[in-house]
Amino acid sequence: MPEVSYANLSEIERALTAINNNIATVNSNVGALSDIQQTMAYKQDAMEAELKQLSEAFADFIAQDAKHKNLQLAETRIGNLRQELQIKFGYYAEIRRMATGILQGVDAGLVGNETIKSSTEEVMIKAPGYWLAPALVALASWVRDDRPTCDQAISESLKRDDYKATLFFMLLTRRLGRNDASLAWLERYFMHQNPRDLDREFITVLEAIATGVFHPASRIVMMKNVKNWLDQLTQGDQFINEQKNQWIKYFEASKPAVQSDKYPLLKQYAKNWVVLENSLRTAKTHEILNNHFSSIISSGQDFSTTVKAKLDEILTQLVTNFDDEELPLQKKVRLNQLIIDKDGDKDAAQAMLDAEMNVFQEKVDFLQMLTNAAFNPEAAGVTGVTQALAVSISQPWILEAHDTFTAQSRKMFPQTVELVIDGFATSTKDGSDEKEQLSKQDKFYMSELQKGLGSVTFPMAGILIGALVGIAGFIFGLVGGLISLAIGGVMIWNNLRSFKNKKELVRTTIEGRRKKAREVLRGCLAETVDYRKELAIEDSKAEAVRELLNSITPQDFSSVSQEIARNIM
Amino acid sequence: MGKILFKAEDTRLKSEASSNNLMQKGFRSDRDILKKRSAKYVELFSSLDTKSLSDVQGWKQLMEAVYEEFGTAELENLPLGIVSKCFLGESYEVHILDLSGSQIIAHFKAGEAMPNDFEKARTLAMHNAYAFVEVYSDKLVLVRADGSAVKL
Repeated sequence: MPEVSYANLSEIERALTAINNNIATVNSNVGALSDIQQTMAYKQDAMEAELKQLSEAFADFIAQDAKHKNLQLAETRIGNLRQELQIKFGYYAEIRRMATGILQGVDAGLVGNETIKSSTEEVMIKAPGYWLAPALVALASWVRDDRPTCDQAISESLKRDDYKATLFFMLLTRRLGRNDASLAWLERYFMHQNPRDLDREFITVLEAIATGVFHPASRIVMMKNVKNWLDQLTQGDQFINEQKNQWIKYFEASKPAVQSDKYPLLKQYAKNWVVLENSLRTAKTHEILNNHFSSIISSGQDFSTTVKAKLDEILTQLVTNFDDEELPLQKKVRLNQLIIDKDGDKDAAQAMLDAEMNVFQEKVDFLQMLTNAAFNPEAAGVTGVTQALAVSISQPWILEAHDTFTAQSRKMFPQTVELVIDGFATSTKDGSDEKEQLSKQDKFYMSELQKGLGSVTFPMAGILIGALVGIAGFIFGLVGGLISLAIGGVMIWNNLRSFKNKKELVRTTIEGRRKKAREVLRGCLAETVDYRKELAIEDSKAEAVRELLNSITPQDFSSVSQEIARNIM
Repeated sequence: MGKILFKAEDTRLKSEASSNNLMQKGFRSDRDILKKRSAKYVELFSSLDTKSLSDVQGWKQLMEAVYEEFGTAELENLPLGIVSKCFLGESYEVHILDLSGSQIIAHFKAGEAMPNDFEKARTLAMHNAYAFVEVYSDKLVLVRADGSAVKL
């Protein structure tokens, strides 16, 4: 049995050692395995990054490819479209070139009658729908004094596109100095205009009339039409109120900036300083407005040269721009051109085309056009003369807007200045009540003093203890009593002295505060007097603006501009 | 039968009357509201004092002037009242002529609160640029001495 147990143990020991070894091996294997796993994780990350890069590169490639294809497509299409345009409307372009040439020729008197005749008649045959063709025939027949043909051609041109033909002849006759004809065309042009929906070039025509580039009689035509339009537009409140609100906003925006340190004490001590300051700023707007309107109506510069150039520009555009018929095709050509310009980026090209088209579709009502010209003549593309005309026509609602603006600001003016100085709150109307205010303030500090003194308590406990100590010594006989009496007396005296000191401190502190606050109050009242004075002066300037606005009328303006017109003619 | 016919007639008349009424109560253009007030009207309301109001004749005259000015005696189209500067004494600031039925004049001292609809007219009534303020339920109309009006 003992042998067996010995043999058995060694067996087991060996077996255990073996197991141990095995476990160690497994352990090391597991370690190796986790190393492998880590390496694999790294590799996976790297692969993911590469894959992402690849997919990005691929997306880029696809986008590039699409752009490239768009570009190629656009290039092919633009060729085809141009060809189509050439086939369908090729002659239109030729007419435009010819029109420009004839206009220049007529200007310089260089082109012979025969040349004009042969070329223009050919035009009629080749461009059956284009209004410019008969217009050119009319021009040519006019040059050679052939009235029947001229009349016929004009009526044909008007039949094809009444508006453009009218504008063309109006500008042309003006350029050639045919005043009567120009006036007749102008009247027709006005008939084309809808005051609720004016064409873009109307403002330039208006400007030309205002500056005297057209015959002075044109002003009467304009005024007559403008008056009619105003009657139409001002029947309801809507159009006028729209403009009125814009003017009120404009006035509000004209407020001067904050003037920082004129009223330092009010700024610090007036509870309603924000309103006070805002009221003053609003009141100060009137002077700015007065200067603004004075400068508008007194501007008497000669703008006729720039206006003439602008009118010619319209004529050139009229003659060189595409006709409505060709527009769809021309639009496609433009879109493809933009795609090429944008390196195949279709969306960007479309956005640009939309923006370009919108500019030409912009239409405004007459009142809005006047407001635009009056607010910002540069942006509206007009000069000071048209600005003055716009202001004079808009005068009734500018005046209304100014009245409202003024009343609104006056309603806001605070009736009192609310002061809070060192806890003392008071209000003054105009700062003239210094005596009452100071006595009110004195009363306030009296009560402050009462309160302060009231808070210093009488040292009853200390005195009682002193008294007790004083009496207590007598238990030990007379000497002890005398000593303790002295000690108690000192205690009581100390307590009373400190009580008196505390009260004195309260008195001096409050007196110090009172003196300081008194100076501040007097300063505030003085500033209030100045403030009220300044506010009243600035506010009264509103009446001056009102008078100025009242003095502007379209009739007055036309007499001023007739001066200018006479100078130009 | 006759009775029924009469009834039908009656309703038709009624509806016509009510539509007329609607038209009168309805929209009033700003141009109407802002039309220049007559010199007589301005004069009358600028020079209001207790004396002219103490007797019935004064009242009647005032109300007639108001009806004439606005071309109607319909309360909807008339101001609720008129607020103007008070010259009774230094402590008085403004007074109200209440047109909305009670037709009384009330004087207010500085700091004394006015009825709700009228308080908003106080500052402007005290301003020298305006002769008086017509108070409506939805707006104020400021009238200058020259009769021109401003809507607020």
